[in-house]
Parts: sequence; structure tokens; C-alpha cells
Amino acid sequence: MPQVPLNLYLELSAVLFIIGVIGFLLRRNPITMLMAIELMWNAGNLAFVAFARNYIDMSGQVFAFFVITVAAAEAAIALAIVVMVFRRRENADVDDISIMRG
Amino acid sequence: MANFFLSAAPLILFFPLIGAATIALFGPYVHRSASAFIGCLSVGLSFLLTVGVAFVILPLPLAQQAQFDHSHFVGYWAHIPPYLIISFRLLLDPLALLWMLIITGVGLLIHVYSVGYMAESKNYRTFFSYMNLFVFMMLLLVMSDNFLWLLVGWGGVGLASYLLIGFDYERPIAVLAARKALIMNVIGDVGIMIAMFLMYAHFGSVSFQNVFNNPAQIGTSALSWIGIWLLVGAVAKSAQLPLQTWLPDAMEGPTPVSALIHAATMVTAGVYLIARAHPIYDNAPLAAEIVAIVGGVTAIFAATIGCVQYDIKRVLAYSTMSQIGYMILAVGVGAYAAGAFHFMTHAFFKALLFMAAGLVIHAIGGEQDIRKMGGLASKLPFAFWTFLIGAIAISGIFPFAGFFSKDDVLDAVLTFHHPVLFVCVLVAAGLTAFYMFRLVFLTFLTGPYRGTHEVHADADRTMTVPVAILAVLSVVGGWFVLPHHDAIAAMLRGSFSDAPLPQAAEFNVGLTFGVLALALAGIAFAWAAYQWRPQIATALHRSLSGLHDLLFNAYYVDVLYDWLFQRPTYALALWLRDTFEVDAITALPAAGVRLGAALGELANRWETGYLRRYGLTFVVGAALLLFLYLFLSHGSAAGAAP
Amino acid sequence: MIVLFWACALVAIASGIWTIASRQPVHSVVGLIVNFAALAILFLTLSADFLAMMQILIYAGAILVLFLFVIALLTIGSAPIETGRGRLAFQAAPSVAAGIAALVIMGAGLRVAWSPTAAGPLNDLGSVANFGQQLLTTHVFAFEATAFILLIAIVGVVMMAGRKELRF
Repeated sequence: MPQVPLNLYLELSAVLFIIGVIGFLLRRNPITMLMAIELMWNAGNLAFVAFARNYIDMSGQVFAFFVITVAAAEAAIALAIVVMVFRRRENADVDDISIMRG
Repeated sequence: MANFFLSAAPLILFFPLIGAATIALFGPYVHRSASAFIGCLSVGLSFLLTVGVAFVILPLPLAQQAQFDHSHFVGYWAHIPPYLIISFRLLLDPLALLWMLIITGVGLLIHVYSVGYMAESKNYRTFFSYMNLFVFMMLLLVMSDNFLWLLVGWGGVGLASYLLIGFDYERPIAVLAARKALIMNVIGDVGIMIAMFLMYAHFGSVSFQNVFNNPAQIGTSALSWIGIWLLVGAVAKSAQLPLQTWLPDAMEGPTPVSALIHAATMVTAGVYLIARAHPIYDNAPLAAEIVAIVGGVTAIFAATIGCVQYDIKRVLAYSTMSQIGYMILAVGVGAYAAGAFHFMTHAFFKALLFMAAGLVIHAIGGEQDIRKMGGLASKLPFAFWTFLIGAIAISGIFPFAGFFSKDDVLDAVLTFHHPVLFVCVLVAAGLTAFYMFRLVFLTFLTGPYRGTHEVHADADRTMTVPVAILAVLSVVGGWFVLPHHDAIAAMLRGSFSDAPLPQAAEFNVGLTFGVLALALAGIAFAWAAYQWRPQIATALHRSLSGLHDLLFNAYYVDVLYDWLFQRPTYALALWLRDTFEVDAITALPAAGVRLGAALGELANRWETGYLRRYGLTFVVGAALLLFLYLFLSHGSAAGAAP
Repeated sequence: MIVLFWACALVAIASGIWTIASRQPVHSVVGLIVNFAALAILFLTLSADFLAMMQILIYAGAILVLFLFVIALLTIGSAPIETGRGRLAFQAAPSVAAGIAALVIMGAGLRVAWSPTAAGPLNDLGSVANFGQQLLTTHVFAFEATAFILLIAIVGVVMMAGRKELRF
């Protein structure tokens, strides 16, 4: 069985990551934007695991595990914020929210 | 007993430092007489120890003396082997011992004298603290065995001198004089520093041992430059041409300060430096000749100015300058023992002259102008007789101390075969006698008392006893060369054993009588012009008024320096303040502020508060950073990856 | 194996695009589930057995269910969000351009800077036993720290979502 080159995994990772980036930049629904972020997390994870396989080093996998954990925490908090936004206003278009200006 | 003195030698150095610190720290809590007592005690203990050490070391044969040269290791200043090792050891060779004896001995007498003289000063304690600090720094200068610590002492005496000249800090003129002295001295400090840099570059060391071991190895040219830069230091400290102008102004300090620092000890540090560095000058004839010329020219230059001054202390200051010119000339021609001898006798009689003058000034309420004195011999007989002894001694009349040392110097100069310098010092010898007796006549003898202040002949014993001791020394100070003409050279042979010239100059009977005759002629002329027929002086003054003005203003050197250095500097400073600062210094930051504000305005426009705007910015920035890292940092990251 | 990789890669890319392109958030979630499943298979090909399991359990099982809950609770009956032009519509083209530029840079960087080394013997890389041992020995501090982060997240979420009158 021919081995899949590391570069292919990394390039796939890059493509998935950019899909997440473009999704984040284009979408206005905060929930969809969060899902784009999840895509980016996973693209990163793929690169970690591919490196771990390449170097036969468990650290990469363990790190990916931590990424999953932190992503879970991030998703929970971000969704809590979204819940609050929806409670406050019927329409939760992020373009309508500009209170981040200092 | 011998071992006791030798092991206690570091205390010679540290007693005055302890004294200065004690007075400075605890002075305000004790009676003012206690401060004076501590000040005198510390110098006195140093003096006793120095005498002990001198009696142990000086009688030893040459080979045994040498082992004490660097005997006491005090500590490292820098220890970076193999590049730089500077240790601090005490130097106890005959030359250093001679200076130490004078510094502590004359220093002790002047400390005691100050107890009475400064009695009315409200900064009495401060005065003794400064004086002790000075003695410490001066001892550090002569006891150090390398140029670095010598320079520390060199700068330290400059500081003490500054503090003491400006002691009456409420008088602006004293503060200005102190500042002038400090600036002039710092020029010299820089000269020594440059000499040290050269030494380090050529010898890799600044210790006397390493530098003087074989100075000729670096070539005459480099050695000459070292000698010349050392001379810059000596010239500034010893008030020789062309850095002499600070010394007359330094007379603004209290009279004991003038006696100790600006006559007996500090100003002779230049002589010490050149005598100490004699292996350099022995191998660099050009530098040595420059030294001799500076000394000889200063001797006559200062003597001519001294003839027309009216301030008694200024006359003495110019006289000091002139006499140090003699010493510098002596060490410049290689007669180191003669220079050191003249330093010793000069310390006696010049300190005596200052202190006797101080008695007069003290008695007539601080007046220093000899035109407002006169006829004081009967009112102040003690001051008169002691001053007279000093004047005879400095004029070089047999058998007073100055006669022997000046004769030594002149003998040495004669063998140097430099007729111009020889004539200079001969004329200076005559002029010295003239201006000293001009002082004697105008102050003590001619006419009635011309001043307005009442004369208080109330000098207490602390003042008269030191003056009396110095008067005796001024008489007998040269007598120990009577049995053997080369006694002083024999005493100092440990320090100058490697000098090429025989340190005992040829004794020349004709020269001796010639100088004696010149001195007597000077005295006679002073008597004629100021005592016998005062109209001679007035007539001379009238017919030679141009010359008089030239001399009275010290050849306008101060004016010259004012135009050369002070005014251009001041003009530059004014321009910098009024033009440069306004247009460049102030305008530049203002432009920067405007630029920053504009940039901030631009950046502010981008900050909309919209999440997706920030996201886009972030992505663009990250892409740019990635680009920079991958393709622009050290060419390409390709080489960095495994 | 290369065939399996390409199959999973294409599925992952397609589902990723589907995720970000759908107007309905529920459709996006479905796309994301497919994407995660494809990634889990890729993890298996990289002998990360335990992680593949976690990918399914945590991401598909927990996080995406959380998303579904939020969508179900909040968007039913509310006005559709992305109708009409957004306020930053002009940003769309630059955003796509920036994304593609970043992708090109990354791809070029991989070509320029990366030369992979040959893999050694696998042993039991990524097995549950090996993973657990690593987690509780070498990385035990990070492990505990993660637990703490999760605790903070739980407390934070309860604080924020549980309060009604937070104004902003």
C-alpha cells in the first residue's frame, strides 16, 4: 500500500483552513461563522496529526486532543454569547453590531 | 619596631580618610574644637608613621630598599586576566617618602595653624573635613604604584582644591575661581588619561613596574607622546604655562588652603609626576626638553608678573608658579634630586610666607592689598620676622634653605647647555629677590600704616607655633647638604638609580656667587625703590606704564583665553539656545506629534467595530506575516527546514 | 490508501464548502458533520485511532449537538438573518481574494520550505494505551490545565446565558 505523502495532508489542511477563513469573512450569521471557526480548528488538527504520524511523535496527537478540548470550551462560550445576542435583538446580523468600537 | 612601621604603612594613607569621614559624619554632633582635634590628629598620626617608615627604609642599602617599592598589596581595581590587571599597592620608595613627609609634616603644621586662623568661620568643621580629604587624596597620589590610582589621587586633590577655593561659597568671586581651577585641572586629568591609554596600548599595563621596566622598547616617538601628555597633566596641576591662570585666582581660598594646597603640596604634584615618570623622559629627550622649556619660561614669566601685583597673596601665587617652574626645569633637565630638593625647601619657605602673610591679613581684618599696609613691622613683629626669614630663604641667600636647593637647580641647568633657559632662571632669581623684598618693604617697613582697619595683634599660639617651626625649617632645611654636597641625591638614590645623569650636579663656585650677587642686587633695588627713594618706583611706574599694565594684567592671558575659548563657546551656546533649539530641537518633536496624530486618525478610520472588518484585517495581516516569514526572512526558509 | 485519502479529501472539501455556503444553519451543521467524519477517517489513516474516536464523540456528538440546540432554540420563528445586502457587502471580494492569497502563500510555503523525512516504524502510535500514557505522564500539566479551562468555560457559560437582563 503506497504511503500518502505528508505534503498532501498539509495541503488538504491548508485548503480546509482557507474554506473556514472565507466562510468566517463572508457569512453574517454568527452561528455559521462559529462553524467556520470549527472548520479552521479541524484543519489545524489535521496538520498536527499528520506531523505526529510523520515524526512518530505522540506530542502532535496529544496537542490535537487539547485543541479539541479548547474548541469545545470556545464553542460553548461563543454560543452563550450568541444566545445573549439573540435574546437582546430579533435579528442577529453581525454587521448590525458595532459596539466593539472603542 | 621596624616591622611595626612597615606593616602600619597603609594607615598613613587611611588616617586622613578616616578623619575626613569622621568629621563629615559626626562633626555636627560634637563641639567644633573636637572636629579640629580630629583633623589635626589624623594628619599627625600619619606624619608620625611616615617618619617611622622613612627612618626604617631610607638608611637601608639600595637593594633592600627596592623590595619595599611595591610592598603593600591593598586590592585589585580590575582583574581581567590576561587583558587587564590593575592592582593597588603602596609605593614606599624615597621619592614617595619625601613627598609623604612634606604632605603630612607641613600639612600637620597648617592644620594646627587653621585651628586659630579659621576660628571665626561658620563652616569650621567642613573646613577640616575638606583639608583631611585633601591630605588623603594627595597621599593617594604619591603612594600609588600605578598611574590609575595616581590619577584617582590627582583628580581627588583637584576636587579638594575646588571645594576649598570655593570655601567661602557666598562670595561669587570665590565660586568662579574654584570653577576655573577645576576646569583647568580637568584638562590636565584628561592629559594623564590619554597618556594612560597610550601606555596601555603600548605596554599593556599602567603600573609603574611594567611601564618603567624597559620604556625604550616602544620607540622614542610613542614614548615622547606619552611624556607630552603626562606633561599636560603636570602643567595643569602645577600652574605652568599655558594653563597657569587658575592659580592666582585660587588665592580666593582661605590662606591655610593657599599655603597647603596652592604652595606646598598639590601644585608640586606635576614635579612629582615627572620625577616619578623619569624613565620615560630619560628615553624621550624631546619630551624632556619640552618639560624644561615649559619650566624655564614659566619661571621668568611668573616672576615678571609678581613684580607689579598689589595683592600680597597674588604675589606669593606668582612666586609659587615661578618656583615650580624651577622645579619643572630641574626635572626636565634630568636633575630629579635637585627638583625634589627644591620642592622640599620651597614647601617650607612658601608655606611660611603664606602663613606669615596670613597673620598679617588676619590682623588687619582680611585686607590683602599691600598699598593699604605699610609700617606693620613694629605692630606685628612676629609676622615681620618670620616673613623676612621666608623672603630671605626664597631669594636664595646663604645659609637659608632656598640657597642650597636653588643652587642645585642652577648647577644642573648650567650643565644642560641651554643658554636661553639658563639666562631665564638667572634673571628669575634676581626678580624673585626683588619682588619678595618689595613685599617686605611695602608691607612691613615703608611709611606709616596706610590701611583703615585697626591692627589686632592677637594671633594665638596655634597660629604662631607652626609659623615658628616653619621659620626654623626655612633656615636649617638645606643644611644637611653642607657636609656632603650630594646628600639629597644620596637620600633619593633609590628612586633615581636608573637615571642617566648623575643626580649630584657639579658644584660651581662662580655660579653660586653670581646668583648670590644677583639676589642681593634684587634686594638692593627693592630697598632703593621702595624704602630709600620711593620716587624711583613712581618714576619707573610712570615711564614704563605700558609694561606695567602688561605685567599687571599677567600678559593678558586671561583676556586671550576669554576671546579664544570663552566667548566662542558662549556664542555657540547662545546660538544653540536661541536658534538651534527653537528651530530643530523643539520643532522636530512637534512635527513628530503631528505625524503621529495624523497616522492615528488614519488608523482610527479603519476601526469600525464590525467583527468581520477585524476578521479581514486579521487574515490579511496573518497572510502578510506568513509571506514575510517564508520568503523574505534570511532569503528563504528552505534552508532552515530539515 | 491513496485512494482512501483522495476520497476523504474530496468529501471534506465539498462538505466544508457546503457548510459555509448554506443559507440555513441546520444545513451547515449537517455539512460539518460530514466534514468531521471524513477527517476522522483521515485520522485513522494517520494511525491516530484514539483521536478519530474523539473526533466523532466530542465534535460530532457534543459540539455539533450544542450548535443544533442553539439553532433550534433561537432561530425558530425569527426573521431570516442573511437577507439583502449586508453592511459590509463590499468586503466580500477582498475577503475571498485574501483567503485565496493566503492559501497560495501556504501552498507555496509548503513547496519551498517543507521536505518531509521518511517515517519510521509505527509501533502502536496513537493507540488508546499509548495516548493515555502520554497524556498522564509527559503532558499531565497541560491535561490538568485543560480541565481547569473547561471548568472556567462551564462557569462562564452559566453566568452569561443564565442571566436575563444583561444589557449591551
